[in-house]
Amino acid sequence: MDGRTLTPRRPEARLALVVLAAGVALLAGLIWLAGENALRALVALVQGGFLTPSGLADTVVRAIPLCLIGLGVACAFRAGVFNIGGDGQLLIGACAAVAVVPLLAGLPAPLALAGLMLAGMAGGAAWGLVAGVLKARFGANEIIATIMLNYIAVQVLSWLVRGPLQEPAGVFPRSARLPGELRLPVLIDGTRISAGLVVALVAVGVVWILLARSRWGYGVTLTGQNAEAARYGGVRPGWVAISVLAAGGALAGLAGTVEVAGLHGRLQEGFATGFGITAIAVALLARLNPLWVPVTAMGFAGLYVGSGTVARATAVPFPLVNVIEAVVILGFLALGVLRRRPALE
Amino acid sequence: MDWIVITGLLASGVRFAMPILFAALGETVGQRAGVLNVGLEGIMLVGAFLAVVVAMQTGTPWGGLAAAIAGGTAMGLLHGVFCVRLKVDQIVAGIALILLGLGLSGFGYRLVTAGGAPGQVPGFQRLNLGPLSDLPFLGPVLFSHPAPVYLGLACAVALAWGLSRTGIGLGIRAVGENPKAADAAGIDVDRVRMAACAFGGAMAGVGGAFLSTAQLAGFVENMVSGRGFIAIACVVFARWNPLGAVAVALAFGIAEAAQIRLQTLYPGVPYQAFVLLPYVLALVGLVSAARTVHLPSALARPYRKD
Repeated sequence: MDGRTLTPRRPEARLALVVLAAGVALLAGLIWLAGENALRALVALVQGGFLTPSGLADTVVRAIPLCLIGLGVACAFRAGVFNIGGDGQLLIGACAAVAVVPLLAGLPAPLALAGLMLAGMAGGAAWGLVAGVLKARFGANEIIATIMLNYIAVQVLSWLVRGPLQEPAGVFPRSARLPGELRLPVLIDGTRISAGLVVALVAVGVVWILLARSRWGYGVTLTGQNAEAARYGGVRPGWVAISVLAAGGALAGLAGTVEVAGLHGRLQEGFATGFGITAIAVALLARLNPLWVPVTAMGFAGLYVGSGTVARATAVPFPLVNVIEAVVILGFLALGVLRRRPALE
Repeated sequence: MDWIVITGLLASGVRFAMPILFAALGETVGQRAGVLNVGLEGIMLVGAFLAVVVAMQTGTPWGGLAAAIAGGTAMGLLHGVFCVRLKVDQIVAGIALILLGLGLSGFGYRLVTAGGAPGQVPGFQRLNLGPLSDLPFLGPVLFSHPAPVYLGLACAVALAWGLSRTGIGLGIRAVGENPKAADAAGIDVDRVRMAACAFGGAMAGVGGAFLSTAQLAGFVENMVSGRGFIAIACVVFARWNPLGAVAVALAFGIAEAAQIRLQTLYPGVPYQAFVLLPYVLALVGLVSAARTVHLPSALARPYRKD
């Protein structure tokens, strides 16, 4: 037998199996507490998230920003940098995009849309850059920094939709509707799936090529595997940290722009929350491979949508979705323990 | 500003500092032992939720506090199982804890409130220390807080002494600085780290309980709103020193108390500019501390015997 089999022959592997079982038992126990049958709830979740046309469409809608942010998280992770700031970068990106709308008036539609997305990417990148510079220049921990920037971004949005970017009527804390030519067209009639899907898939391709084929991607991956070797190879770790956080910010900002231009049509408070941490799970389960990110993004999006279905149909509260996400991450870590080769220890 | 305003500011600043202080003290011990827990936020949420539910069940906030300690310890041990025993990436495990705490507390809250709005929460009352509490200025600022405030300060002093002056403290620092040497000296590295994880979780649980039963009275979903992360920034800013953590947590508490007052004082300035003060302060703290600080050498590194 080689070291990759699932045979529990070491204490660590045994413990990992126990933990996996405990995770499943926790989920079943919670559903039982809510007065439901775990198997029935699971079936309803999978059906609601993936097997009905409307559920699948909602899953795709949610997977689009998750995929974009997950790509950025994967880039950062590869360099050993944790970007938990997806939510804040998304918000600032969306704000930047809406802020440039007046400048785009009169441009041909494709050009205007491109300008909108560029502005969104620039806004998100700037927000990521702040964390990057704090880390590279001052050694500030990027986890705390990106999370603090998330909270700050929420306040910035809250101010903008009550101040400079508020709709002319000035009643509700929200921006004016985007003009029609700045809206991303709906891709599939009868659903809310916009051309943002194409944007996300193009981003997957671009990130994959950059990571696999470019000098930058090589430096990123090398830094994550062995920072010392990277330094000898002429890669500057500080620069890598800045670049992955800015790139992740740009992708999250793009996600924010797509949310506004493809889904909501305007800025408002709380229009996109909870993507950032889920995107970490997305990147992790994709094993930081950009080509797998859309797949895992679909998985977590379906989990979210399916949990919503379950919560509406039964007495199982919606926050179960966060518990499931946690169990999935911990389960992924435990499985990693089982796959360890004893010889490497 | 007159004295009444400053007195009120400092008095509520002390109370606002406590959730951060408790969590930061626990995290200080954990990090000194070499374990980084970025999931404090989740543990605090669970602590806040359990404290409210059990306080209402038992009719006393102390019952709630005990439940929060139990829940926090369990989550700290879970972190320990993954980071210390299974030796996985500590940051990823901590992120899972954030989600777990968010989910468990939200799930439980909605289950509990499904049958109607919850009643009055028996929270911690402010102590009346007689003549001390009646002192001008010092009375409100120092001598009329709920009992856990004094427990927290006592904890900080005990930890400052314990970490630097006792054998146990030396053991904790040793496994965080040089686990190999600690192991050679006969210290069970993993056991010390597991204990530190449990303690860190328990303290984060207390922090959550303070928030929901002493600073406020009741639980709302996601009510910790970043204090768990601010606590980590506080640990770094205080250079892993428990007494330093008191000072830094007080700075955060006073900043929070000040931003609420500044909102009404300067209605012309968008209130959001004040709400983000504590978060900006955390960023400033990270930046100013990071350059000069010597962090525990084996922080976030699992230890394996060769």
